[in-house]
Amino acid sequence: MENGKSYEAYLKSTHRLGRIVSVVSLVLLVGAPFAIGAVLGTQPDLGAVARSFLSVGLVWTVSSVVEFLVYTPMLGAGGSYLAFITGNLINMKVPCAMNAKELVNAKSGTAENEVIATLSIATSALVTIVVLAAGVALLVPLQPVLQNPVLAPAYANVVPALFGAMAYKYYRKDPKLAMIPLAAMMILFTLVPSLTSSTSFMIIPSGALAIGLSWLKYRRETKGAAGK
Amino acid sequence: MSVLEQLNRGSIYLICGLIVAFIAVVCVVFMIRAWRAGKALGMDTTRMKRAVTASATFSVLPSVAILLGVLALSGSLGVPWPWLRLSVIGALHYETQVASAAAEQMGISLSPGQMTVAAFPSIALLMSICIMWGMILSALFNRRYLNRLQKSGDTETRKGGGFGDRAMTAMFIGMVSAYIGSYVGDFISGNGRFTFSGTWTPLAVVAAAALAMAVFTYFSEKKGKEWLDNFSIAGSMLIGMLVAVLIGH
Repeated sequence: MENGKSYEAYLKSTHRLGRIVSVVSLVLLVGAPFAIGAVLGTQPDLGAVARSFLSVGLVWTVSSVVEFLVYTPMLGAGGSYLAFITGNLINMKVPCAMNAKELVNAKSGTAENEVIATLSIATSALVTIVVLAAGVALLVPLQPVLQNPVLAPAYANVVPALFGAMAYKYYRKDPKLAMIPLAAMMILFTLVPSLTSSTSFMIIPSGALAIGLSWLKYRRETKGAAGK
Repeated sequence: MSVLEQLNRGSIYLICGLIVAFIAVVCVVFMIRAWRAGKALGMDTTRMKRAVTASATFSVLPSVAILLGVLALSGSLGVPWPWLRLSVIGALHYETQVASAAAEQMGISLSPGQMTVAAFPSIALLMSICIMWGMILSALFNRRYLNRLQKSGDTETRKGGGFGDRAMTAMFIGMVSAYIGSYVGDFISGNGRFTFSGTWTPLAVVAAAALAMAVFTYFSEKKGKEWLDNFSIAGSMLIGMLVAVLIGH
């Protein structure tokens, strides 16, 4: 009971802190181009930016709504505030938090999951910040290594490597269920190859299909258990 | 002074560096709070340490790939701005697209030598406002959204069982399936429907990483080498990436 109360207080303060740091980060990130503009002696052309946003920005706005709806439940309160501030969700933060959760066997929606997801995403963001800071500091000596054409295919395939490893981990939990969205996506992308440029949007129908199938299985199992 | 020299000025490094430092402090604060909350909940610190270690090893390789994104953009946008964008908020796969779309809207391209000092602040602002909505939605609706999900989850749990965990696993299966499906589609129909002449490297990388993961899992589960779990994703990714290098040459 005591634990429950202190966890409630933790969650409440996490939301308060999360909202404050999100707003501050937003102000800093939108303010930075103006500060840089002051250094360069020229400011953003707001009319051109507004026009450009209407023609190119709306796509990413829709994508952000999708990301918010899908990833927030996976990452919990603290984890999602941090993840939306630090970025790189699909290629790092989300799989990283899911991996940590699996390793310590934390259940979704629990206090444990909230703690583990926050620890995982904070660690992941700090590693990126350190690697990038070190990389930028050592840019000149590192450039030949990083831009070596021999290594180029490796860096171009980080996401397939990540999803290959994660696929084994998750598909083996329920191979029969996994085969259906996988087959559906393979057929869809083969018949409509232009969709490959919108893969992040295709997570929605694919995820909805997998969740729908999982729900049907769950209902069948719980009805069966209740009938016994 | 060339455009790139101006975009790489010390004062611009300072502006971007201060923001990166602020976000780093935010991460540390969230981490300490979560650690303390875990201890207050009676969680085993060994499990929390394991989550931290696994997340750190997991994040190294993707971070190096993100560093390459900084390098790729630095030829046109200078180093500090891509460093800031990809350290915080930005995503590797979005940032380059947004940057080139923003440059195009300003009537230039991201090719070296095309950038102008006058266009840069507008491009930087457009990049900022294109990818800020997740943070805004999170600030506005995170609490309400999670509370609603928690309530429906509690109702389900009372009815017997709880679907939340299965839903998260299913969502992840759906996410992975969308990406693998796109690699298959790209290979079969990437250069024209059913021509089978697209790139097959991502598929080989997926297969190699999955196979490596299976080997790690075997040793962890059957041979009692549980410590391997902390490095299994990073190790599998490394093997997958190595296969990409071998195919590339």
